[in-house]
Amino acid sequence: MSKQKITIAVTGLNNTDNPGPGVPVIRGIKESTVFDARIIGLVYENLEPGIYMEGLCDRIFQIPYPSSGSDELIERIEAIHSSEKIDVLIPNFDAELFSFMKNEERLANQGIHTFLPGLKQFQEREKDKLEEFGKKYGVKVPGSLNMGSLSQISDLEAKFDYPVMIKGQFYDAYVAQNDEQVKQFFHKISAKWGFPVIAQEFVNGTEVNVIALGDGKGNTVAAVPMRKQYITDKGKAWGGITLADDKMMELTRNLIQKTKWRGGMELELIKTNKSEYYLIEINPRIPAWVYLAVGAGQNIPEALVKLALGQKVEPMTEYKIGKMFVRYSYDAIVDLEKFAAISMNKEI
Amino acid sequence: MKITGEIKISDNGFVFNSRTGDSFNLNPFGLELLKNIETGKDFDQIKNDVLDRFDIDDLTFEKDFYEFCALLKHHQIISQDDPLDFK
Repeated sequence: MSKQKITIAVTGLNNTDNPGPGVPVIRGIKESTVFDARIIGLVYENLEPGIYMEGLCDRIFQIPYPSSGSDELIERIEAIHSSEKIDVLIPNFDAELFSFMKNEERLANQGIHTFLPGLKQFQEREKDKLEEFGKKYGVKVPGSLNMGSLSQISDLEAKFDYPVMIKGQFYDAYVAQNDEQVKQFFHKISAKWGFPVIAQEFVNGTEVNVIALGDGKGNTVAAVPMRKQYITDKGKAWGGITLADDKMMELTRNLIQKTKWRGGMELELIKTNKSEYYLIEINPRIPAWVYLAVGAGQNIPEALVKLALGQKVEPMTEYKIGKMFVRYSYDAIVDLEKFAAISMNKEI
Repeated sequence: MKITGEIKISDNGFVFNSRTGDSFNLNPFGLELLKNIETGKDFDQIKNDVLDRFDIDDLTFEKDFYEFCALLKHHQIISQDDPLDFK
């Protein structure tokens, strides 16, 4: 059977020590048995490593940060579409998702398909609303306090014992052992990610994660649980292993069924010594370790593309247990011309 | 006392708990003890076999065996319905 020719645009080619999911998403798509994909890499910075990885993207375009305004970003996508004819767009950053969700219909009218959560789904799982989310869907979550100013430290101390987690709205999380550290992290995070800064109860246990894909009708199309084996100083997984954990799978399926989640997601959970699971975060997109799921037998990027195109996807229930990923860094030697092209022309 | 369902034991002594993601390395004697537990041998059978083969008194063996089992239990490699059951 011949493969379906298709053009897919992907963001998140920043395969750094804080990696975006773009490169592993593309690897999954390239291993597809049904799609023969032409890949358009969309980058924000001219040193994103995915630009320089041989054989990864067919074309590369620089796009403006969503902070420049949604319209500017979408107009740039439309301009790229006029020459490249994008069939499916897979955004991979939390910060850009809002712009793409808001303009889903505008993009779809031009033939650019996406498969993203709805605005309500996206907003109700935000970190500063996690407590209400837990109550609504019957999931254990740590207590939290949204901080707009340092005067709330006394509220924080009344509510929680140290240590506490101090988190940004989109990224960054630190463990604070005392009020001095709370102040330090509060300033650091608010300067970068704005307000509120979220103080979260520290739950002792092992961090475990699930990557999943919901079809928007309550069905779990794919789900693979993983435990990080090696964590960088930025808290990123540098090695991980798939688990056999029925409780995690049940929790995931229940959550997708109740929320009717649409698109990729990552559940970040803490498993306590009593085998209780606390949901600490939901990332509303495919995580950077997605290639482990592909290697374990669930090609989530391929399934997401099918869903975006309105094709039928049978739920994937099997995966290899004990499959590991180990990341590595690699020095690519690059000619100046390529760097000059992306810097000056904003495309390669 | 039984090995939990998620445990995979390799012949080279590598033990993997697929529920927690933990892995352990056993020396040949540790592997032998674990295999004996896996096959359902009770404490007396294991003890008699060890006392026949090694120059060790039964009190020392019992102490070391219970310590080993406590470690296996802590890492969720074995489960015991009764904490005093070493059969």
